[in-house]
Amino acid sequence: MSKKKIHEDQKYIDGLLKNNSFIIQAIYDRFAPKVINYIRKNSGDSDKAQDVIQDTLITIYNQASENKLQLTCPFDAYFFLLCKRKWLNELKKSSNKEVTINEDVLSKGDEAQELAFETSVFGEKQALFTEMFQKLGTACKDLLTATFKIKSMEEVAKSLGVTYAYARKKKSLCIGKLTELVQKSPKFNQLNN
Amino acid sequence: MEDQDYILFESYLSKELSRDEIAAFEARLKNESDFNQAFNTYKELSAFLEHKFENEAASTGFQNNLKAISNTYFEKQETTKEALHFKPWHYAIAASVVLLMGIFTFNNFSNPTFNDYNNYEVISLTVRGGQDELLKTAENAFNDKDFAKAEIVFGQLLALDGSNKEWQLYRGVALLELDEFDEAEGLFNKLSNEASVYKNKAAWYLALSKLKQKDYNACLKILRSIPEDAEDYEQAQKLIKKLE
Repeated sequence: MSKKKIHEDQKYIDGLLKNNSFIIQAIYDRFAPKVINYIRKNSGDSDKAQDVIQDTLITIYNQASENKLQLTCPFDAYFFLLCKRKWLNELKKSSNKEVTINEDVLSKGDEAQELAFETSVFGEKQALFTEMFQKLGTACKDLLTATFKIKSMEEVAKSLGVTYAYARKKKSLCIGKLTELVQKSPKFNQLNN
Repeated sequence: MEDQDYILFESYLSKELSRDEIAAFEARLKNESDFNQAFNTYKELSAFLEHKFENEAASTGFQNNLKAISNTYFEKQETTKEALHFKPWHYAIAASVVLLMGIFTFNNFSNPTFNDYNNYEVISLTVRGGQDELLKTAENAFNDKDFAKAEIVFGQLLALDGSNKEWQLYRGVALLELDEFDEAEGLFNKLSNEASVYKNKAAWYLALSKLKQKDYNACLKILRSIPEDAEDYEQAQKLIKKLE
């Protein structure tokens, strides 16, 4: 990845990451019409397009801030593929029947396809992790929330009224529990293949 | 995996194992595929959780800003949808504008005062199903205009997460209401100089603080710095006219 040349459109990713209103506005002005058009032509409307675009930008933001997203292709192609993929998944979910995702056969070396695929897997994993986190018991949820918010395990233990050793052990076991929930879900195995 | 394995994962990730233990651990990663898979998932989840909670404030700021831009963009696209996108606080703003116009008509020759402007929107902080008692208390105290209590509770919240800009802003407002100008302005100054969705709001409150202290020159200077795209731009312009 690091050897590949970063595309000048990286400015859009950096702008999103900095919550730069000017850049966000530019993304809408330049790239939204194509997506809206596509969704309207494929059993959707502009409300649906608004949701898809918004969710896609949030996924890009999350990936960029969690593990550095380096754009090696034009933003236009990358963004359109992501929105398209998200929309087709929506259709698949709501229609309950198999919609063939015409994935334009992933050809090697197609940067936009590869990158969009990576980002959408990232987004689906995040959604899955969030869903599984909600399935944990309250004790685990509270402990993990405190652990990652407060950072110092000593303080976490103090705030929850338990010993440091217990809090540490509980943290591992709670993430362990979450690991099991995630590994058991069919969605995860699908994503990891 | 056994409980022991998860405890081991955590120790490995927080670099607490001895050299021998690390060697044994890495050998297992190589030889036991279940162990390897579980570890990778554990690691991925740790990173996910860490990021989720660390970045919560920044991420909420981004999402709010994104939604605002998105709504404006799509309103432009389809003007018929306007009624749906009309936000409740627009009514509040509209109502307060009417109210202010009334006040100014009858009160045209006196200077505007802080009390003409301190009608705050109802705030809502509890986003995740009301799990946080403290947030609820802060929200209620603020909405009930019990600013002394709000100031204390926002202070407690900020002790947990000092970087939360939304809390900083509301604590500032509470301080302003309590006439703790130095502390309030400290917060507003900081917020208005940093990039966030609260930047312009903080500048507006800073101006109100000057207004409350009848420092009209300083108030005007700040009001003029509020950009056109700010929510309070029009209010600011009107106040400028009154003060000039």
